Amino acid sequence: MNMNLQLMRLIRRITGNDSEYQTADQSRILPALRLSVAFLAILLCALSQNAIYVIMIIAAELLWLSMKSPIFIRKTLKPVLIAVLFCFVLMLPAVSMGHPRTLLTVSMKVFESVLILSQLENSVSWQNMTDAFRTLHCPQLFVFTLDMTMRFLVILGRYSNSILEAVSLRRVGPDHWKTAGTGGILGTTFLRSQKMSLETSEAMACRCFDGEYRSYRRRRFSRPDALYALLIPLLIALFVYTQQAM
Amino acid sequence: MHIPDNYLSPQTCAVMAAAMVPVWTVSIKKVKAEIPKVKLPMLGVGAAFSFLGMMFNIPIPGGTTGHAVGGTLIASLMGPYAACIAVTVALLIQALIFGDGGILSFGANCFNMAFVLPFVGYAATQLIMKRVKGKNADLIGSAIGSYVGINAAALCAAIEFGIQPMLFRDAAGNALYCPYGLNVSIPAMMLGHLTLFGIAEVVYTTAVLAFVRKAAPEMKSSTEAVRTALPLKLLMAALVILTPLGLLAEGTAWGEWSTDEIAATGAGFTPSGMLSGFSYSSLIPDYSLTGMPEWLGYILSAVIGAAILIIIFKLLSVAGNSKKENLTV
Repeated sequence: MNMNLQLMRLIRRITGNDSEYQTADQSRILPALRLSVAFLAILLCALSQNAIYVIMIIAAELLWLSMKSPIFIRKTLKPVLIAVLFCFVLMLPAVSMGHPRTLLTVSMKVFESVLILSQLENSVSWQNMTDAFRTLHCPQLFVFTLDMTMRFLVILGRYSNSILEAVSLRRVGPDHWKTAGTGGILGTTFLRSQKMSLETSEAMACRCFDGEYRSYRRRRFSRPDALYALLIPLLIALFVYTQQAM
Repeated sequence: MHIPDNYLSPQTCAVMAAAMVPVWTVSIKKVKAEIPKVKLPMLGVGAAFSFLGMMFNIPIPGGTTGHAVGGTLIASLMGPYAACIAVTVALLIQALIFGDGGILSFGANCFNMAFVLPFVGYAATQLIMKRVKGKNADLIGSAIGSYVGINAAALCAAIEFGIQPMLFRDAAGNALYCPYGLNVSIPAMMLGHLTLFGIAEVVYTTAVLAFVRKAAPEMKSSTEAVRTALPLKLLMAALVILTPLGLLAEGTAWGEWSTDEIAATGAGFTPSGMLSGFSYSSLIPDYSLTGMPEWLGYILSAVIGAAILIIIFKLLSVAGNSKKENLTV
């Protein structure tokens, strides 16, 4: 039953993400622009030689996050805290080697980077993310793989969920099936995925889909987009200023 | 009023922390019982106001500084138990991230500012409100309550400082921790709080209360989830931008000197307990970052502190409650 629940959670997360953002404001900002700003902020954070830039970005991120709903905050912070905790444990030996600041610096950078990505993930749907990657001229293969992965996670997730449900309904006696049956379920799912990939390939050929992703929801560069785009020079200026401050 | 580490003996710190445990326990139980979870984000806003209030340092002649705390303000809005929790979390953030107030002395700081201040302030407010009639009774009550509250807290801090040389001395008879006895600490602390800092607390409390009454009355009366009113957000933004005014006050607050400053304050020596005591290096010490203008560091600290407090209380409002998906901001 636990495995069923885990799978259902995963599916809900992906499909929920999509349905939420169909009804939500879908952000007035172009997803490609958001993605660019996020990547730039993370890149500059990684390049930063001092903590000032990182702390400034963290302050801005926290301010933005504090204005969101409690549910959004929880969804956003959960992966961030796990990542920071993991990093903290990994970097703990730095303290015993006499570099406690390194522990703080790396943990802060991880916090900042994962926070940006987590916020992006929670505020841009998967379809828009694919669209954003395409707009940014990411290789077709990359976009195709990402898109297919997301779709098949849901499809195969539902499939294995049905098998698990069937197995648990037919289960009688001691609880040994979990280990004995898992291999079978995984194997069946794998075979199914092979079949489905062939079907997908045929469906692609029938629809004359050559792997080229085109965005059909092009919209004009609006005023909020222009304002948001100002973040790019602002981030670079901030980075240059903070690096000179040392 | 933020007692740094090593000014109080570890024994005193342990006693104060132990004294706070039942207070925190009762406060958490009361808040759980009396305040609906959906109103907890409002408590975060209150804690943020308290945090920002503590950043406005005010100078008094003699080179010392002080600030408002806002404990009575939160107590008037949401009750003393909620104020205790809110100020405790604000003090924790200050100690851990900004190095304002010690880690060991956290219990003592909470006793003064998160327990004595809001509870005494609230009791005085209620007492006055029963005796004063009219539509401004709550404002008058809160004004007097906040003055009484902050002075009671300052007196407690002064006593905690003052008993150190009486209790802890080395073989040569020198104080191990705070070198000033009650005869110095009480007048030094009370002089500022009975005058300027007390007035600052009154002004801060009544100004914000009057503003809330006009702009966001639901913050006090509603028992349901309320969206933080725009004027309240604007007020908070204005406070954040104005926090560098706290830098105009030169000098260190009484009892908050660093180890290299204390000998020059009149003590004539640095107590050995301070030299070899506990030291904690915070992330943004004294609300400033090396290589950054002080005013910018102050604004950043205000943003980080206020945002973290609001986030913490918003998270508490949905803790263990994943089904309530439609809460307001």
